[in-house]
Amino acid sequence: MHLHARHTLALAVLGVSALTLTACAPAETSGGSTSPVSGGTLTYATGDAEPTCLDPHVGGNYPQALVATQYLESLVSLDDTGTAIPWLAESWTESDDGLSWEFTLRDDVEFTDGTPLTSAAIAANVAHVQDPATGSSTGYLALGKVTGVDEVSDSVVRLNLSSPDSALLESLSQPWVAIQSPVALERDQETNCESPVGTGPFVVTAWDRQNSITLDRNENYNSAPADAGEGDGPYLDQIVWRFVPDSATRYAALASGEVDVIDNAQPDTLVAAEKDNALDELDAPRPGASNRIELNSGKAPFDDVRVREAFARSAAVNDGIASLFFGTADRSYSALSSVEALGLSDEDLFTFDADAANDLLDEAGWTERNADGIRTKDGSTLTLTFPVSTNQSIPAEQSLFEQIQATTKEVGFDVVLEPMDLSSWYTALAADDYDLVSAPYTKVGPDVLRILYHSDGITPAPSGYFANHSKVNIPELDDLLTQASQVTDVAERTELYADAQQIILDGYYIVPLFDQQNHYLYRSDVKGLRAIPTVYTPTFAEAWLDR
Amino acid sequence: MTIVAASPTTTRPRASATQWVLARLGGLVVVLWAAATLTFFALRLIPGDPAEALLGGPGSQASEEALETARREFGLDQPLLVQYIAQLGRYVTLDFGTSYSLKQPVSTVIAEQLGGTLVLAALALALAWVLALGVAVWSAQSGRVAAALGSALEVIAVALPHFWLASSLVLLFSTTLGWLPPLSGRSPAGLILPVVTLAIPLAGFLGQVMRESLLDALSSPFVLSARTRGETSAGVIWRHALRHAALPAIGLSGWAFGNLVSGAVVVETIFARPGLGRTLLSAVQARDVPLVTGIVLVVALAYSVVTTLTDVLDRAADPRLRTVVEA
Repeated sequence: MHLHARHTLALAVLGVSALTLTACAPAETSGGSTSPVSGGTLTYATGDAEPTCLDPHVGGNYPQALVATQYLESLVSLDDTGTAIPWLAESWTESDDGLSWEFTLRDDVEFTDGTPLTSAAIAANVAHVQDPATGSSTGYLALGKVTGVDEVSDSVVRLNLSSPDSALLESLSQPWVAIQSPVALERDQETNCESPVGTGPFVVTAWDRQNSITLDRNENYNSAPADAGEGDGPYLDQIVWRFVPDSATRYAALASGEVDVIDNAQPDTLVAAEKDNALDELDAPRPGASNRIELNSGKAPFDDVRVREAFARSAAVNDGIASLFFGTADRSYSALSSVEALGLSDEDLFTFDADAANDLLDEAGWTERNADGIRTKDGSTLTLTFPVSTNQSIPAEQSLFEQIQATTKEVGFDVVLEPMDLSSWYTALAADDYDLVSAPYTKVGPDVLRILYHSDGITPAPSGYFANHSKVNIPELDDLLTQASQVTDVAERTELYADAQQIILDGYYIVPLFDQQNHYLYRSDVKGLRAIPTVYTPTFAEAWLDR
Repeated sequence: MTIVAASPTTTRPRASATQWVLARLGGLVVVLWAAATLTFFALRLIPGDPAEALLGGPGSQASEEALETARREFGLDQPLLVQYIAQLGRYVTLDFGTSYSLKQPVSTVIAEQLGGTLVLAALALALAWVLALGVAVWSAQSGRVAAALGSALEVIAVALPHFWLASSLVLLFSTTLGWLPPLSGRSPAGLILPVVTLAIPLAGFLGQVMRESLLDALSSPFVLSARTRGETSAGVIWRHALRHAALPAIGLSGWAFGNLVSGAVVVETIFARPGLGRTLLSAVQARDVPLVTGIVLVVALAYSVVTTLTDVLDRAADPRLRTVVEA
């Protein structure tokens, strides 16, 4: 009976959606071509900060990755199952001891300054990323185990490692270690920051700061990754990459046709766009970690697992997501992004249960309550400091934290939200001045778990930065993560990462929220747009305008 | 009113004019020094490490070597006081240094972005004056109801926050009517919405001041005597009363310019318009001390210039001030 009823409902829903679809079918416009058309200028409006340097070796953040995807390419790419596929390297082999990898490069590729792609170019790029004067942080970490580069021949290059690295291909696929012309890299940093030279489908031709970057078609482009279509792109003459920090303005510009593609589309605009036939959406959750609240287990009160579980059980995350994200984000129950094939989900651990939370807090000794209903123990109140980075948490996420603040208060937590800018936020973390924190972390592959939850990540870097905000310190977990980072056998690696994730989830070190949101909206007459399944930046290599 | 200080009792007018200029210049130097000092220490005392700004922004995972290289190169390893004195020394030689985050000379960045903000501020000030004059004159001429309406309009205009006004104008003129582009960029058409956004609250403010003194003037004896000489009602307002009414508004225009620059931070961000306001915002977030200080100095300089100009204009509009200097 039950099954039958659900079946009928599903059919009804399907029927209604079919009707809606027919009703919404766009009227035939001047376009309607099915084969790509060359020409035209596409305007992209980004809500991310304007990069201070267009060479993603320098520093290394997502805004750089977004734009660099249009003019730089990596040694390898990934397909949508996360398997490495050829890009600038057409094949590779790992030595038996895992301490060296040989990459065979394509022999027909030139950088846009005419320099040929050779093993010397790869050596120059590794040296550039590892040179302290470059100031690389993300790329530097990605190449952390690379101790040397041998030019075996013009087209064969060998990377020597300090220890086996099962994440090497995933690391190399990231835009922060993309390959640039060795001749261009020899220029001073200011020049290379303004006009980096790669092998990609477009070339940086102008940078009008605070306004736009102009990218022109690379007429000699021939080095698409192995999963690219059969097309003959790039088709666009030009991309104008504009900086539009305000979300509402970005959407207004898209809706009026002033721009063709926008990123960082917020839940409200996604809902608005659904009703607009001239707009389509590209949902490309970022890889690596899920967005999650990290619980600082390094000090009271979260040094007690019962208090951590009580927090997780009393935070009504699902209701908050439903009311604030309007169905544009799905709840996550995993430490990893849903695009990570090795991610492990455990929904039962995070079921909302205020009674259980109250019992756990009683058990943990937080039995008294003060006049405000906040629990106390031996004179201290159950207060939780939660610094919120207004640069990294979108408004809907900040509102979600407020809802969590309200629902956890019912069982006696006093969550103090402290919105602050990025510099202050990092300073608060470095000073251990937090009990709760939410920090995005983008990296390709499950090795991100080692960065976030290995006890090595508790020790701050020279800059004060550390990634293990939950201060997870479990020798058994350290072993699992270290082993997993060195084992290339797929079955064994999968099992190691599953065990590691179960430990993290069971210990309530985190409350997973949703994937790191990465929504793009574009005008329907933009065709052939896709996100590269590495860090999920959109590429315009095969994009064309049907108008 | 600020004009009081410029009413010297000396009997030697020539010397007082020179004194006035010297006092102005001395004041300017003090203002610039104070601005540079406050900015320097404020930025160094709030949380955040400028060395990280040099290496890919806050939260950089830069290596120890990279951080040390950066600190050495930019003198950040020196004691704070030494850095402060070194920076003042550079300003004396007109060397504004290099931006930490943009890796460009501060003077280049400011030269690129200053024009956009000045044009925006100047047009907004001009439009605010036109609007304020229009409403003040109309409501002063058209009776009680008009006066009340004008006053209400001004109060509402003053209370409108820039971000709300900007979003509403985009919604109305870009999204709904499709008349104007939501992105300002560098196009002339794109200037309209940002200028209107900045002008409306300012017009409300100037209008309040203007209408009050206009009404005062209209009820004063010199207007009555003008009327008895047969001056028309419009003539009374435009030739006699307005000159009187404009005085406090001119004095306030210096303040208004400062208000416009801070408004530019919001407006340039919302309309995606290149300019100093947006540069300042990202520079503060990046703890980019040289760039923030450079911008603050330029704004302080512009503010002083505008205040001086308004004093000169005051003299032009008010013969009483002129006679003191020229007698």
